[in-house]
Amino acid sequence: MYQYSQADHQLLQERVAQFRGQVQRRLRGELSEDEFKQQRLRNGLYLQLHAYMLRVAVPYGLLSSNQMRTLAHIARKYDRGYGHFSTRQNIQYNWPKLEDVPQILDDLAAVEMHAIQTSGNCIRNTTSDPLAGVARDEVADPRPYCELIRQWSTFHPEFNFLPRKFKIAVSGAIHDRAAVAVHDIGLRLVKDASDELEFEVYVGGGLGRTPMIGKLIRASLHPHDMLTYLEAILRVYNRLGRRDNLYKARIKILVHETGEEKFRDLVEAEWQEIKASSLRLANEDIARIQSHFKDPDYELLSDFDHDFDSHLLTNPDFANWASKNVELHKKDGYRIVYLSLKSRNQPTGDVTADQMDAIADLADRYSLGAIRSTHRQNLVLSDVKLADLHHLWLELVKLDLATPNYNHLTDIISCPGMDYCALATARSIPIAQALTERFDSYDYINDLGDLSLNISGCINACGHHHVANIGILGVNKRGVEVYQLTLGGSAREDASIGKIIGPAFTSDEIVKAVADILKVYLDKREGPEEAFLAAYRRLGQAPFKEKLYG
Amino acid sequence: MAYQIYTASLLKEGLVTYLCLGTDGAFWSTDINKATRMDEQHLHILKAEAEYAAQANIVVGPYPITVTSNDQGLIPVEGREKIRAFGPTITLPSDPVRPASDLHAA
Repeated sequence: MYQYSQADHQLLQERVAQFRGQVQRRLRGELSEDEFKQQRLRNGLYLQLHAYMLRVAVPYGLLSSNQMRTLAHIARKYDRGYGHFSTRQNIQYNWPKLEDVPQILDDLAAVEMHAIQTSGNCIRNTTSDPLAGVARDEVADPRPYCELIRQWSTFHPEFNFLPRKFKIAVSGAIHDRAAVAVHDIGLRLVKDASDELEFEVYVGGGLGRTPMIGKLIRASLHPHDMLTYLEAILRVYNRLGRRDNLYKARIKILVHETGEEKFRDLVEAEWQEIKASSLRLANEDIARIQSHFKDPDYELLSDFDHDFDSHLLTNPDFANWASKNVELHKKDGYRIVYLSLKSRNQPTGDVTADQMDAIADLADRYSLGAIRSTHRQNLVLSDVKLADLHHLWLELVKLDLATPNYNHLTDIISCPGMDYCALATARSIPIAQALTERFDSYDYINDLGDLSLNISGCINACGHHHVANIGILGVNKRGVEVYQLTLGGSAREDASIGKIIGPAFTSDEIVKAVADILKVYLDKREGPEEAFLAAYRRLGQAPFKEKLYG
Repeated sequence: MAYQIYTASLLKEGLVTYLCLGTDGAFWSTDINKATRMDEQHLHILKAEAEYAAQANIVVGPYPITVTSNDQGLIPVEGREKIRAFGPTITLPSDPVRPASDLHAA
């Protein structure tokens, strides 16, 4: 992973010192809350329903075991013993004290971590494929490009007061595991007809109260032009994005209101002015960053292990877990392992300090010391030997990190909702927990197959409900929490926005409503090989609506 | 009968807090049952103290909320304020604070 230079270290130290000064001035009353708010947001610090909330950046979802141990230390010393992995691969702490935050940032800086630009109207953490560098379907490793974007966007003098927040995702694989289509800018690494690497550039995707799929603004962008082109897009947005209406300030609205063609013309015109500037990347620039992401010294291993096969045959629980939470690796003899943060025993995406320490130890022992976070609020150990899988699984079971549901019904994305969030209009975690308890049969979940269910506690859609096969949106109707269902969303390369099925359900009704939807799918699918999304796209809303509302 | 109390966030800790008028003057408590309640007619007394506390950097963002009372004490009328008063309605991963689910409906 990327190793900080002296300049990177100095930048972090200066930033922490600056924020320490800002906090002290706030506590002494020399800064008003209005004056302080923009400073604290740019250091990832919110004031939420119960307490401050600190969002720590995990750049493109990559963590070392040492960093994970520091995250555990922070949870233990400064918080209530746990953290929450978000849908942007970051980690959040829900209970820090303002006076402790500078020290927390100091502790993070010591392990090359920070909370810079994880909030505020600026360019946020760039997210990516959690299987970057190890996936079999990878075209090119997106991580070096993510790191270049991170360096370019951090404290960018032009883009620190944008009309609204700005989110970029980069994918380097055939299958999109980074939800590129619903980001402000989505970049996909592809090969052209001559097998040369290039980017597809999508702009104007997003969720929230006006969900949109990004438009392909440029089908072919040379990697050398990545930063100049991003700069051109951001300049057009910064200049023309709406600042008069908070709800119409995202770039997706600008693209929609301007029109795709005209927006493209504006960006191209801006780009012509700067494409030859010093921001243009040279081979050496890309190579320098790529050198931080070289393959580790993989051993030459067989992709067959007798003990592994034996455990599959004799241990059905292990076999069930391996069939869902384990993926093939680009190297024979290795596997990718998903650590499920979706057990019935704690809220989705939450990890205790003890679990974090244990995960760090497991990463060192089994996965070359690295951990990844995913936008589905799980973790990944990316380089596990096939021969070690059974031992690892036994450890994960003890830690409650082996729920065998990856990419299945109870692998639920849930925002914190009204139990934590000042913006929420309904609770989401209790609904996720009720669904997990109701659908606790692994046979049933296995039979349903590949299926996404996401829950948001308000229209801001931090739970990504718009792009779930089954989406649930909690709203407040005259003081009562009710839940709206959407069907047919997808965050993958076949991205689509789910459609509202009909009137909302109460918290007592929503679990049965989901059960009814699943029944329709099982009754009407063209066999187990037809996944939920495919069946819905074939059948349309009618049979689901009929079952729910008569 | 419904009353009004004042709530805010403590500047240093960020915790939910409630305005109390004691014999020695105003103070802020994280215990809602210590909050001083007023009717609409006298709410301006609380408002003045709350605004002073915000200017004195004790609290952030004070505002009034409506409460009723029962055997267990003061209960906010609005669901969001119930969660603020009694904590998340879920069992936290390693939290000694008991969940509030028995105090209000899920």
